[in-house]
Formats: sequence, C-alpha cells, structure tokens
Amino acid sequence: MKRAILVKRNDPRSEDHKNELQMTELEELAGSAGYTVVAEVTQTKHPDRKYQIGRGKVEELAQLVRDVNPDKVIFHNQLSTMQVYNLSGICRCEVIDKFQLILEIFATRATTHRSKLQVELARLEYELPKARAIVSILKKEERPGFMGLGGYEDSYAQDVKNRISRIRDELKNMERDRDSLRNFRHSRGFSLVAMAGYTNAGKSTLFNSLVDESRPARDMLFTTLVPATRSLNVAGREVLLTDTVGFIEELPHWMVDAFRSTLNEIFFADIVLLVVDSGEPLETIRRKLRVCHETMWEQLQDVSIVTVFNKADLLTREELEARMLGLGYLAPNPVAVSAITGSGIHELKREIRRHLPKWDFVKVSLPLSEEGMSMLSWLFGEGVVHSVDYSDTIDVDLEARESIISKVRPFTDK
Amino acid sequence: MGKVVYTYISYSIFLDEMFNIIAVDISGRHRIEDHYLMVCAAVAASVNPDHVEKVNQINIRSFRTDRAPDVQMVVKMIEETVSEMHFEGTVVTEPGDMYNRPQWIIDSMFPMDFKYEESLSERRCMEIAHHVSLSARKFLLRELDTG
Repeated sequence: MKRAILVKRNDPRSEDHKNELQMTELEELAGSAGYTVVAEVTQTKHPDRKYQIGRGKVEELAQLVRDVNPDKVIFHNQLSTMQVYNLSGICRCEVIDKFQLILEIFATRATTHRSKLQVELARLEYELPKARAIVSILKKEERPGFMGLGGYEDSYAQDVKNRISRIRDELKNMERDRDSLRNFRHSRGFSLVAMAGYTNAGKSTLFNSLVDESRPARDMLFTTLVPATRSLNVAGREVLLTDTVGFIEELPHWMVDAFRSTLNEIFFADIVLLVVDSGEPLETIRRKLRVCHETMWEQLQDVSIVTVFNKADLLTREELEARMLGLGYLAPNPVAVSAITGSGIHELKREIRRHLPKWDFVKVSLPLSEEGMSMLSWLFGEGVVHSVDYSDTIDVDLEARESIISKVRPFTDK
Repeated sequence: MGKVVYTYISYSIFLDEMFNIIAVDISGRHRIEDHYLMVCAAVAASVNPDHVEKVNQINIRSFRTDRAPDVQMVVKMIEETVSEMHFEGTVVTEPGDMYNRPQWIIDSMFPMDFKYEESLSERRCMEIAHHVSLSARKFLLRELDTG
C-alpha cells in the first residue's frame, strides 16, 4: 500500500470543527485512492505565495518526508504550479493537491470509454491554465537566450486545447445518444428517478436494495463513477432508477463540467432521491446537504426531491427525529430508510409514487371480444389497471399517461 | 457552530413545511469616481426546502457613501431595507456579502434572525434579489446620467 503525508493550511478565523471535518474527508479520500496516511501536518496561516504553507513549516515537512519516506505529499488546499514545483524541490517527494487526488481516484476506477474520456477531460482542463508554466519550469535550464522557447510553451498549451476540444466533441456525440435514449424512455411512459447525495452516503447500497441488484457498494468515497439504470416497479408504475456519482465539497467547476453528462442523470430526472447518511453527526449531515443543494440548485427545475435518511438502523427513533427536525429546511419530503435491513423501503416507494408525474384516471368500456381482450392486455402493459369488471362489456378503471388515454378515448365513458 | 433559525408557517415540520425568508443582495460595492453607489434589494418569500412557494414583496433602496462599505455598513443597509417591508422572516445573504465572516458573528449584529443561503429555494431567492438589485442600479445610473 502506498504511503502519504496529508497537509492542510487552515485560514485564520476559520472554524475548528469545519477544519477537522475537512481533514477527515481528506483522510478518507486518500484511503479511497489506496494510500495509508503516515503523518498529518496542519498550519493556521494566510496562504503563502511560494509554498502555500509557511517556509518554516515546509522545512518541517521536508524533515518529516526524510523520516517517514512517503510516496506522496497530499495538500488539502489547491496548489499553483509554482507551489508544486517549489514544494517538490524542497521535500524531494511528489506533491499533489486534493483535486489531483480526486482525479487519481477517478482515473483508477474509470472502466468505460465514456468515464475514461471524462477523467481525461477533467485532467486536461485542470492542466490547461498551468500548461505554459509547466513547460516554462521544465525547460528553465534549456533557455538559449532572449525570448527562448516561447514557441514550445504555446504549442504545448495549444496541444492541450486541441485534445480538450476533441474529447468534448466525442462526449457530445455520446451525450446525444444518451439524450435520445432518455427521451425514448420518457415517451414510453417511464419516469426517471435519480439518486443523488454526498459521496459515501449509501446510494449504491440503497440502489441494490431497491432493485435487488449487487452493484459494488463499499464504505469508501467514490465507489460509483459510472451511472447505472435499472427499472423499478412502484405501486404499478414502472420507473427507471439511476445510481450516480456522489458529490464532494468544493468540487471545482471544471470538474462539474467534465462530469456534466454523469450529473445530467440527476438534472433530467422527474424525481431526485437525495440520500444522506443519518448515522453521522447533525452538523456533518448539514454540511453535506448544503454541498448537495449548492451543486444541484442551478440545474434543477421543477423536480421533486425526496430526502432519504439512510442508515436509520444506526439511530434510535428519538435521535432520528431530532436529525429530521434539525434539517427540515434542507431536507424536503424526508423518509427514514435502512438499506441494509430493508426497513422504510416500502414508505420510500410510497413517497416516490406520490411525486411521480400525474397520470389521468378514466373508466374504459371495452367490447367483450377478442379485440377487447387484446386491448385490455395492452392496457395492463402501458398503464395501471385498478379494477376490471366483466359484464356485457369489459369495464376498466385505468390510470395512464395522456398518450395512452387518447388512444382509448373512443371507449371511455362520456 | 451556526444556529438555524426560521419562522415556521405550518406546525408540521416533516411534511409540506414552509418558511418565511427575506433574501437580500447589494449591488455596486465598487468605487465610481469618488463615491460608492449601492442598491440593496430585499425579496420576502415563503419557501419550501426545494422551491419558492410565493414571493410576497420586494423592496429596493439606494445608498451613496464616500468610503468602501465594511460589515457594519452592510448590516445597516440591510436592516434599513428590510425594516420597510411588511413581511417578517429570516434574513438570508450570500457569505461573500458579509466578507465570509462566520455566521454567528453576523447573526449577533442583526436584531432579526439571520443566516447564510443554504437550500435550493434560498439560493433561488438570492438569484431574484441579485437580478433586482443589479437591474435597479443600472436603471438608476442611466437616469442619473441622462438627468
């Protein structure tokens, strides 16, 4: 297992509790990427332009690196190219920041062509502003003189830009295919339900529990990187449930852009299941819910949100109610569920049903004939048949979408 | 740890709860010639966690000063704008408007309940307040130019 030292610079006047949570999250991220944390270094200080942390602390860090010999030094704070160069030079060890760590996790877990392209795009977009500086630093020794190597720097940046544009085109084509699939599903009467939430909230476990699947679900950040969709029957209505990649605090906008096609599963859904880990302390849940709202708010329009308080089995009823009460203003339509024990799943399905796009109710009288029977069988497949009464005619209480009702209009009661 | 304060409309906290908020945004916090011309917009709304139920009232006030606004001045501008409204609610702003100071410090400076934006609906109301203050300031500048 690889070894890492974690470093975090705290802003003066920032809240200790928040800083601790951020450090814990960095530990979890490092664990997800396969690192064992061998030491942690923190400093409260305004950012240093050259090193991010103070010069004295850098010396301390360099000594620590010599003592414990880690594979990487991972910073919580975003580092500039110059800071990475300076820190690596003094510490004699590879230095990365949190965003590169997230990219590393994504890169190791990306399995499909699409997700590999998304990771590549995110990496390039992260690199682009730094491209000129990277080449400039690498070729510092080789500068022949006045205006030397300016061409090199520009051509590397141009290469990165070209590659970004090629990947964007390819992803756009893939997205077009996915859009048409989504529209097709909608037109076939499937409502789309997407699971969203902070990373490691238990979305995949809940997904497995709802659709009886066995997708990988681990107590680890970013287990899911590729969305998966399965059909789910909710009180007679077929919906398509999608498991998605989780959110994380301070996810940079270029990364959100790169994973837009993944996040579109959420933005185009009819219902969003906002999954929270209710076993965590109230303040942690609040912070994570805030991140979810922040990530989704611009894109979500007229979508119902159902908040799923997952891992409810870890709490007493009083504790659970206290959490729901404290988070009422951030948690619309809350339902307590335990994906492991299965408790609350029935209530969750009922809540999903309540928020599905409304279908109309009609009474249909079909002729008691072979044609009528075949039409009834078709109605069973396309809508929800609440009751059937066989007399001189076949009287059906039907709930269905508009396009189906228009087809049986000649048989409806006037 | 910031406290959460709200004016509840309905008794039920779990279902269909609604909250009264006043989202406030200030435009023009930059120097023009030798002064600052700012417009503060306050949007009183009833919201659910995920959508804006109703916008009850919008109030706009302009402020002109010679020095750059500090936190105290921002609090005073918000207080004056909100005091002219006929609706009550928790004042909501973006953290940047209060120079990213911790919520509890700002809360202690207001006589009414205060919090930073968090939920989807609060962010939507902030968006409305932002558009209103920006448009009102543009309009004001144009009128001053032509007048």
